[in-house]
Amino acid sequence: MTMVKQPVRTMLAISLGAIAGALGRYYVGIALNGLLGTALPLSTLVINVTGCFGMGLLATLSVGRAISLHPDLRLLLLTGFLGSYTTFSTYELESSSLLAQDRLGAALYYWAGSALLGLIGLQLGIALAEWLLKQLEQN
Amino acid sequence: MESPYLLPAWIGLGAVFGALSRYYLTLICARALGGYFPFGTFVVNLSGASLMGFLATYLPSVNPNLPLNHLIFVGFLGSYTTFSTYALETTNLLKQKTYGQALFYGVGGLVAGFLGVELGIALARQLSG
Repeated sequence: MTMVKQPVRTMLAISLGAIAGALGRYYVGIALNGLLGTALPLSTLVINVTGCFGMGLLATLSVGRAISLHPDLRLLLLTGFLGSYTTFSTYELESSSLLAQDRLGAALYYWAGSALLGLIGLQLGIALAEWLLKQLEQN
Repeated sequence: MESPYLLPAWIGLGAVFGALSRYYLTLICARALGGYFPFGTFVVNLSGASLMGFLATYLPSVNPNLPLNHLIFVGFLGSYTTFSTYALETTNLLKQKTYGQALFYGVGGLVAGFLGVELGIALARQLSG
């Protein structure tokens, strides 16, 4: 890998992660729609909240001393995969669609609830990572 | 859809362009405006949400099964904008005890994204008469 120049490696790492992230979002979304129905955009909610959990976990693990993530792997996982797995534009469009259907309560719950649950998911990810790092550093 | 591999290929292609645009635009914003505030993700999410509102309204006549739709909406715009980085940056601003900035970024990002979608929809309706 050292023979490949850094800008190319950066682009490859982000691209590989992004392909996996977007396809993951698409197919997990289809599976969740089958499970949860499409009356509310719950699939995007679950995807964004689990992605936030992964972001809290990996971002915290990668700065710990016990585990060292190669910068290219960090780009692949955080910028590429999690960045593309979660989505902001679909979330805002779905909020707007609920509002356009005059479902004011659903729109508000979905819009604010996504952000709140996303932040909670992220905190849980951070807490798990800190616990794991503590276990690793003790041994 | 002739081949079952065609659909994931279009999504993947859009995702590569989306994620790379997000990464380089974030770098440009950090270099131009400084790294103390996450301007990059803010700009990316706002522009992506506006484009989503515009295109989702302007391209309704396009067949939803067309590969182009998967490339643009699922691949490009889905990957260009990000929710996890936005949540991480909001949390980081909270941790640094810059509460004003955290509130501005956390709530302001959501409001701006929503207004962006509405603006995109309004513009598309204006253009299509």
